[in-house]
Amino acid sequence: MAASLEADRIAKAFGATLALRGASLHLQPGRVHALLGENGAGKSTLVKIIVGALAPDAGALRMAGRPVVFRSVREAMAAGIVPIHQHLSLFPHLSVLENLSAFALGCTRRAAASSALLPRAEAAARLETVGLHLDLDQPVAALSLGQRQLLEIARSVGRECRVLVLDEPTAALNHSEAARLFEVVRRLCAAGTAVLFISHRLDEIDAVADDVTVLRDGRAVIAGTPRSHLSREALVRAMLGTAVAAATRHLPEPGAPVLVAAGLRPGPGDAPADCVVRAGEVVGLAGLVGSGALELAAALAGARPAAGQLHVAGRRLPPGDRQQAVALGVGYVPGDRHAEGLFPVLSALQNASACSTRGLAPAGVLSPAREAARMLPWLRRMKLHPFLPAMKARTFSGGNQQKLLMARNLAIDGLRVLVVLEPTRGVDIAARETIHDAIADIARQGVAVVLATSDLDEAMALAHRVLVVRHGRIAAEILRGAARTNLLDALAGQAAA
Amino acid sequence: MTALALPLPVRSAWRRWRPGAAAWTTLGVFLLFAVLVPRFASSGNLVNVLRVAAILCVAACGQAIVLVLGGIEFSFGSSAALASVVGVLAVPWLGPAGGLAAGGAVVIAIGALNGALIAGFGLPPFVVTLGMLMAAAGAAASLVGGQPIDAPPSAAFAWPAAGSVATIPVPILLGAAAVTVLHALLSRSRLGRLWYLAGANPVAARLSGIAVGRVTFLGYLVAGAFCAVTAVVLTSRVGSGQPNLAPNLPFESIAACAIGGIPLAGGEGRAHQVVCGVLVIAMMNNAVVLLNFPIAAQQLVMAVVIIGAVLLQNAGSLPVMLRRALTRRPNA
Ligand SMILES: Nc1ncnc2c1ncn2[C@@H]1O[C@H](COP(=O)(O)OP(=O)(O)OP(=O)(O)O)[C@@H](O)[C@H]1O
Ligand SMILES: [Mg+2]
Repeated sequence: MAASLEADRIAKAFGATLALRGASLHLQPGRVHALLGENGAGKSTLVKIIVGALAPDAGALRMAGRPVVFRSVREAMAAGIVPIHQHLSLFPHLSVLENLSAFALGCTRRAAASSALLPRAEAAARLETVGLHLDLDQPVAALSLGQRQLLEIARSVGRECRVLVLDEPTAALNHSEAARLFEVVRRLCAAGTAVLFISHRLDEIDAVADDVTVLRDGRAVIAGTPRSHLSREALVRAMLGTAVAAATRHLPEPGAPVLVAAGLRPGPGDAPADCVVRAGEVVGLAGLVGSGALELAAALAGARPAAGQLHVAGRRLPPGDRQQAVALGVGYVPGDRHAEGLFPVLSALQNASACSTRGLAPAGVLSPAREAARMLPWLRRMKLHPFLPAMKARTFSGGNQQKLLMARNLAIDGLRVLVVLEPTRGVDIAARETIHDAIADIARQGVAVVLATSDLDEAMALAHRVLVVRHGRIAAEILRGAARTNLLDALAGQAAA
Repeated sequence: MTALALPLPVRSAWRRWRPGAAAWTTLGVFLLFAVLVPRFASSGNLVNVLRVAAILCVAACGQAIVLVLGGIEFSFGSSAALASVVGVLAVPWLGPAGGLAAGGAVVIAIGALNGALIAGFGLPPFVVTLGMLMAAAGAAASLVGGQPIDAPPSAAFAWPAAGSVATIPVPILLGAAAVTVLHALLSRSRLGRLWYLAGANPVAARLSGIAVGRVTFLGYLVAGAFCAVTAVVLTSRVGSGQPNLAPNLPFESIAACAIGGIPLAGGEGRAHQVVCGVLVIAMMNNAVVLLNFPIAAQQLVMAVVIIGAVLLQNAGSLPVMLRRALTRRPNA
């Protein structure tokens, strides 16, 4: 069968960085094609070229055998290529119906002439295709991330969809939402759509992928091989060049209490939470989306106003006061990297030193030499790639941007508490190990760590104990070494707390 | 294809050259005028250009700080007018130097007020500074009943505009000093770094423990201090209190930054870009006068240069944009 979309020997350079050097990709109708590779391998760049957001330096695109050139995302969409970005492009203040219609409006030339909204029946039918049952007049801001992602797909696939492109669609989703997404992907596939799917999670690849392409340094080292012909080990070796074993990390014996929360309530509907995190202790916070786990973690870091009391090493920390928190040595890696963490137009080095400017400029005078001397080791430690500290943060790949945020917080002077939210979201297998090593190391140095994650393996592997949050309250505590099913049951609310 | 074919040293040299786009634009404009405009390149005329450029430059340095913060400052023009009126009115009590200082203090106070409203109440800079533009203009006009008032003639009053130190005109010295201070602030001070961080992503800055409100306030305050120097020199130059002193100052200072390649989105901007933009504007203003263009045509030419220069700043993407626009779709 003719491939529905072929990318042939695509090359793309950004300045001196060769992001793609002759990468090829063949998508077949009715099959899910997984695109794998370590952070910075060129996956997103290839996707941007396919969806018309970037022009290639060399190489060709073909659809059903005929050469095509997309000068814009709009042209690519007109040809039936539907991109779903990791950054959702919905209008949060408009209703579900308006969002579904906005897209149709953008694609018609008679926008002003035709009526502004889709017929409600048709809108409902579109939601049905992705298994969503929503009130059409609800504002999008009220939806969960997973619902928004599905809504975005519904909006796009209402029209002819020959190729669906998903760049790390599951990074922000929990397990059940991801499962739901896969169901939709399967359904579209059965209808003949070709799907391109990017993820760093191998279990997801196992769950949905028919074919696999692995990029390394901008070249395909595995090109469209059926998933069933490849072992996991072969995949990892192809991505990284070596095999990586998930290490079992030794965690220290917890010491004196460092972070003490008493009656902390991040939101008005939440129950007051009491918790103590000791020096060298890693406490996991887990919960389904909307459970309040992330909010509780943010409140513990002073990143969110809350009722109640917080103490760090015996000193009071007014909730919501990040200035005071950083002065007391409380690091915070936010869950939403782009909105809350990154300074996109500043350099990697300046991103890393953002929390440490006081220490770097004792009398208000900043010394670039001192800044480099203090921060570069952290960037090296996090294995920033490419190692170009003067390059703007926005030009780094997603996983490497996450490393910048980790480096920034590890570098805080007198770090006592580190609160990390979803630290390995969008991060490749090797970088995940690097980040886990860094967390375990910092715990060994006596830092109290709060790890809020929707990745249960991460929580079980790294935390002394996991606090399970349900409906805004700490509902259960699972100790290290317990079975994974205990945690799953606690999350869903089946175990006696 | 071409980019890949180039050897690596050439490509990295090209990358280093691109931040200099502002400098190349400036040089190009200079050469163009030197060839096309009679008397432009005479040393007397060039000193004149520099003198005008320097006055604008000081205010543009302040504007650059506000732009780095992701804000914008419209009140510069009428705050300078209010400064000249207050300054002249204060001469009988405070003497010529004291009067000018009082005028400068007014501009700084307006900057501080802008900063307080923007940082303290989270109001949009556009609205606050536009409101302040009108308020200061109104105050200046009502203080003197709408008519200019002359300052009593004195050497001290005229010195900031007409004096010189070791044969170098004072405005040029002030312009050079302003650029030096701006450069030091932006690249070597903690406060400058905080301006970049707060401008690049205020939410991330807050979560990184930065007092975004205080940093923003200080930015508008320092910007006001830069503009105060410009106001003092302008007042000294006209030797009177003018309720309509420098109506174009905010727009020319914003245009200078834009021509230099400072984006209005915040988080970016450097001192040398301000210098380049200011020079382009001053050369333009001078050339259209030398060519005897009518006033209306002068403004048109100005508009073309500003937009053209900003387009040139994106020269890196221009060939790509053109190529994409011109490629025929084989499937169409
Ligand atoms: N605009 C840009 N300017 C300079 N370099 C860039 C730019 N965009 C991407 N790059 C570089 O190109 C390379 C490929 O980046 P890309 O985003 O495609 O990686 P990726 O495979 O999607 O990684 P990740 O898994 O981390 O998302 C990286 O080295 C990145 O730093
Ligand atoms: Mg990517």
